[in-house]
Amino acid sequence: FRRFRNSLSERFHQLWLWHKTLKIIGGEFGTSVLSYFIFLKWLLSFNIFSFLINFSFITVPQFIAAEPNNLSFTGLELLTGAGYFQQTALYYGFYTNATISKTENGASYNMQLAYIFTVGMYFVICLLILLISMAKSFCRNFINPQIYSGNASKLLCTWDFNITNEKAVKLKQKNLSTQIKVQNTGDAKRCSNMTDGHPAIVPPHQLTDQSVQLLLLFLCRNIILKISIIGILCYYWLDIVATSKSQCWETLIGQDIYRLILVDFIFCLLGSFFGEFLRRIIGTTVFVSLGMPEFDIARNVLDLIYAQTLTWIGILFSPLLPGIQMISFFIVFYVKKVSLMKNCQPPRQVWRAAQMTTFFMLLLFFPSLTGVLAVIAVTVWRLKPSEECGPFRGLSSMFAAVSEWIKILENYTGSKWVVWIYNNLITSELFFFILSTIFLIITYLYWQIIKGRKTMVKLLRKQIVNVGKDKVFLLRKLHLQQREKQNPSVPRGQDQQVSFIVQIFLFQLHVHYDSMGFL
Amino acid sequence: LRGLNDLLFYRYRDLAPQLVPLDYTDKPDVTLPYELIGSMPELKDNPFRQRIAEVFSEDGDGNMTLDDFLDMFSVLSEMAPRDLKAYYAFKIYDFNNDDYICKSDLEKTVNKLTRNELTPEEVRLVCEKVIYEADLDNDGKLSLEDFQHMIIRAPDFLSTFHIRI
Repeated sequence: FRRFRNSLSERFHQLWLWHKTLKIIGGEFGTSVLSYFIFLKWLLSFNIFSFLINFSFITVPQFIAAEPNNLSFTGLELLTGAGYFQQTALYYGFYTNATISKTENGASYNMQLAYIFTVGMYFVICLLILLISMAKSFCRNFINPQIYSGNASKLLCTWDFNITNEKAVKLKQKNLSTQIKVQNTGDAKRCSNMTDGHPAIVPPHQLTDQSVQLLLLFLCRNIILKISIIGILCYYWLDIVATSKSQCWETLIGQDIYRLILVDFIFCLLGSFFGEFLRRIIGTTVFVSLGMPEFDIARNVLDLIYAQTLTWIGILFSPLLPGIQMISFFIVFYVKKVSLMKNCQPPRQVWRAAQMTTFFMLLLFFPSLTGVLAVIAVTVWRLKPSEECGPFRGLSSMFAAVSEWIKILENYTGSKWVVWIYNNLITSELFFFILSTIFLIITYLYWQIIKGRKTMVKLLRKQIVNVGKDKVFLLRKLHLQQREKQNPSVPRGQDQQVSFIVQIFLFQLHVHYDSMGFL
Repeated sequence: LRGLNDLLFYRYRDLAPQLVPLDYTDKPDVTLPYELIGSMPELKDNPFRQRIAEVFSEDGDGNMTLDDFLDMFSVLSEMAPRDLKAYYAFKIYDFNNDDYICKSDLEKTVNKLTRNELTPEEVRLVCEKVIYEADLDNDGKLSLEDFQHMIIRAPDFLSTFHIRI
């Protein structure tokens, strides 16, 4: 216990950014709203990481071998992304395909390899981080298919210790007491319709089941809409823009994505303005019965995932895009926080924060990240880069840079292992087939283990219940026995004792049989 | 500020700078009374603040040394393991300290959670429901194992049983 306390203090300062703000938000609105802001902070860290490595490994070397920018800067470029920005480090087209060297015969820096390896490495790291986060989150908060698992646990396990604001605490207490009252009257009505109504046999509260269904419906609709939008856009970019005869199609795609991200950011701010600010004005002055709005966590998180998906798609075509998204996320954080504090009231219904966070992480991984990886894979392997601009000009595909590099490496004896890895692991289909088979086998094994454990848990629970019943039975018999002893007028004392001993013996047998049967 | 321990030490000291020395190398025997602990902004509106202080204090009356204080905030941090949190949550809700959450403990808990707004009849009904659902071995009260079994079905517990400092 003490060891854990010491390791805790070392990990603490990693979470320092916005610590006070998050504490205030959690204190007033509880864990559910806080989960949105923590998710935003987590996505921001992805963008910061991407921007840093892109800037250091791709942009900085490029500045050494930069061509002068002949275009003039008018303010319109901030909105359209074209014009002056076209020949800056923002877009793919700016980067040279040469091998940059500062001095004659000095160390050289191969821009093609740097570009493809930096982007590739970033996505591999992203994938690993997401997989590990998802696994950890799933372990801690496994998604329970049973939507309402008992009202009792709701009472004892979900008091939010985070809430430190007096008003919020009072509000939550009032909500809880209202829920309990409503549930009690509902149960009483149902019990009066049943012959032997024990209050807990009654099915869970109908109203909150409905709200969960509404939430699921909303999520499905939103997700399908956004997937279709991005799907159609990707088809347009990869099939039409890339194969058109335009100069520098990658830069065009980059500009499209820049504009999309900008518009999404503007609409996010507008949504906050209309959805929260105006809604509060309407709710407090015109239709007072509506009251203040609640912070719509699901809609906001889906917006974040959409913006992040766009950014990920755009990294290949515009390496500094994560920097722009970083700035946008910063601004969104502060706008949402101010809007939350001024316009919203704490949520009234139970929002299962842990499970929803796991679900959103799952959503970020699949379809978001896997979709982006598919798009990047198609671009790198199948599309022909443009002839006149970018680091891959003149090659047949972006990946050809790597295969050409491997061909050069074949001439050096020292790097034969790299060539071997490339030929037998990365480009060989057999290797991936074997890997997939192994993964499938392991998954199947774990699935069977889980099934076995579930059965075991059921049996053990039954055993506990049986032992409890036996205890009650024995205690009753003991009481009866003692009462018989105190009334010696009953002349059957001897037989009672014998039958009691027989019962003890039978009970021992029963327990022994149970333990043999269940273990 | 180098870490959580330092931060907690300065928060502890801020409660009573005249009582708590800056130098803890000779392990002084300093105990802060419950009134000071219960007035911390993180705890002052929590309905269970008295129980929390009692559970983590050495003599069970709410007066905490620095070690008790550090223990309390470590268990209530987000990185404490689930079993540890479940154990201490159980102790907090066990008002009479008999290692079982019996009916009277539950009634006191419900009253604290709803600010005494329910009638005694409603409180009794809710407590009966809780015991019926969670009591596995049918002894009329919740043991630590019953409580832990309930926690498994409430994954939010890890994030709600958490106080940010």
